[in-house]
Amino acid sequence: MVNVSFRKVKKQYENGFTAVNELNLEINEGEFLVLLGPSGCGKSTTLRMLAGLEDVTSGEISIGNAKVNDLPPGARGIGMVFQSYALYPHMSISDNLSFGLRMMKGEDRKSDDEISKLINETATMLGLSDELEKKPKQLSGGQRQRVALGRALIKRPRVLLMDEPLSNLDAELRQQMRIEIRRLHDELKMTTVYVTHDQIEAMTIADRIAVLNEGELQQHGPPMEVYKNPANSFIEGFLCAHLNEIVDTANSLFGGEEE
Amino acid sequence: MDLYEEDKCYGGSHMISAKSVASEPPDDLASKWYVPAEVDSLRNLYPIVVAINFVSLCIFVLRGDSDSIFSSSMQMIVSVVILMLLSKLDQGQRFIRDGVISISGLALLLSVLQFLSGPQILIDFWMMLWTSLPAVLVIYSVSKPIVTLWASGNQTVRSAELGLSRNRSVSRFHGMVFRHVALLHAVAFVLLPILWIVDVALSPGNSLGGEFFETVTFEHFSHILSSESFWIWTRNSVIVSIGTTILGLALAIPAGYAFSRFKFRGRDYAMFSFLLVQMFPGVIILVPYFLVMKALGLLNTSLGLILAYSVTALPLCVWMLKGFFDTVPKELEEAALVDGCNQNQVFWRIILPLSLPAVAVTALFSFLAAWNEFLLALTFNTSEEMYTLPVGLASLISSTGQAWGDFAAASLLVSLPVVILFIVFQRFLIEGLSAGGVKG
Repeated sequence: MVNVSFRKVKKQYENGFTAVNELNLEINEGEFLVLLGPSGCGKSTTLRMLAGLEDVTSGEISIGNAKVNDLPPGARGIGMVFQSYALYPHMSISDNLSFGLRMMKGEDRKSDDEISKLINETATMLGLSDELEKKPKQLSGGQRQRVALGRALIKRPRVLLMDEPLSNLDAELRQQMRIEIRRLHDELKMTTVYVTHDQIEAMTIADRIAVLNEGELQQHGPPMEVYKNPANSFIEGFLCAHLNEIVDTANSLFGGEEE
Repeated sequence: MDLYEEDKCYGGSHMISAKSVASEPPDDLASKWYVPAEVDSLRNLYPIVVAINFVSLCIFVLRGDSDSIFSSSMQMIVSVVILMLLSKLDQGQRFIRDGVISISGLALLLSVLQFLSGPQILIDFWMMLWTSLPAVLVIYSVSKPIVTLWASGNQTVRSAELGLSRNRSVSRFHGMVFRHVALLHAVAFVLLPILWIVDVALSPGNSLGGEFFETVTFEHFSHILSSESFWIWTRNSVIVSIGTTILGLALAIPAGYAFSRFKFRGRDYAMFSFLLVQMFPGVIILVPYFLVMKALGLLNTSLGLILAYSVTALPLCVWMLKGFFDTVPKELEEAALVDGCNQNQVFWRIILPLSLPAVAVTALFSFLAAWNEFLLALTFNTSEEMYTLPVGLASLISSTGQAWGDFAAASLLVSLPVVILFIVFQRFLIEGLSAGGVKG
């Protein structure tokens, strides 16, 4: 497994808008890092720069000590789960899963036997064994989510990127998938970067959270540490106050009877 | 009265509202809203009948048949009267009901007399149906006991409620009949010209009129199929149409993709200029095209036509494809990039397979445009060796006398590939491949 680092990374669009400004962040090997922030804070842009889907204006991004600024997405050894799943509609589930494997070049190239073995392994891991011949539109939302996850995991990426992967699911499934994603991470131990705007999701799933606002990194650290020692008023408002409010609501709903 | 007495003690504004409640009969929504479905349907039908009577009147005026004009105007007046009476027909209007029935009887009589007196070809038969059948329907429906009861105003709340629930099923049936009548008219309107051409193609000789399918012969078909020039024209048309399709798609697909996905300088102007060309009629570009083709030495060649057709079909193809590419989510491309594709592979392995329906429609469009085009082909390719089918067909009428039979047979043969193409492509035309890839 590898580490990821952002050094003075800046993203400025042609119209002059600065999405990410002077970001310095180290992600350790095998760590589950959550990028948290309100919408428009630059968290998705950060992830997309790491994936190679956005150009970096200045600064340096490296994966495993190799600078990746100018590498195409496919060469970075990453897997990515999109918010909209982005499954290939014209391919069966097994083709969706194996597409990345078939695109591999040179020494990494897998034989058909290896590929079908990996498909079966991944499908079993995600409970998709019965769906392999179906097309994406025949699956439920939760199943599509699993396929998207499987497609990212099947290549055994060095870094797994997830862009609000659960926001299209209903509350119960979201809870369930959150636990499952964390379990998969603990099992496969790959460096993971996870983007969300949901404070609870961030608190429960992360090893470490990095809070962004208006393109600036506000604070990073283990969830409880950030919660207990907010570095500034933004963190206090966005994270601490929000969580306290939820706790208060829960208390007023259920706590009253016990007192 | 009790209610009224009781409410008196409240006084003031309360009294007014209490009074109005007390003086109204119990809520009888059923009787208030109930209109027999038959009456409703007739009210919908009769404006159409009036319109069609008007059309018949116009036809008779064109024919200059003064007797028919007179009877047709009578017919028209009678149908307007029926329409007015139907709209006045209401509960407790027994005399209007009787009036409607007797006037409909008059209309029926008129239409039979008119049919017997005039010429009796297909269109007269159709007119008679449209004047007599509605009258029969009026007499039948309005004299039904349920309508009579309603019109005489003797019905109870209970019978009105029953009538309302009966209306549901009856009006569904009436609606179905209406739809089928309308659709059959549309079908006849589309099929009659084709039937006529089939008739001309199968009749001996070169007459355009005469009885339908009086005598059937395949002499025109065998004559056309055995003539050498028909096959030469077919070959030319196939080469030109397929060439146009391939060249058109080869240019339109990348152009549509670029317009849809990439931002570049002058993009909007370029797309607008594509539309600009479409705003002028083809005749305007005919002369400049001719001069260009002459300068390039492309007159009387298939290549010249392929180039001209591709250029004229291109704008619409590009816009159609751009519209489809716009609907393919960008995330799909990004996912493919992460999966290790380069930009070319993304296009060939993801975008193009997904766009097959749109590509098929575009291909069909450019093929048909080339297959049917007449003006450019007539102007550019003047030697008979290089005629395309439409030009060749037209030459059957002008040069070798009026060979209508051969012409009709050949037009049927020419439209055959088009029909086959549509049947084959139908699956693509309706298939929505893009659904389900992203959440939806």
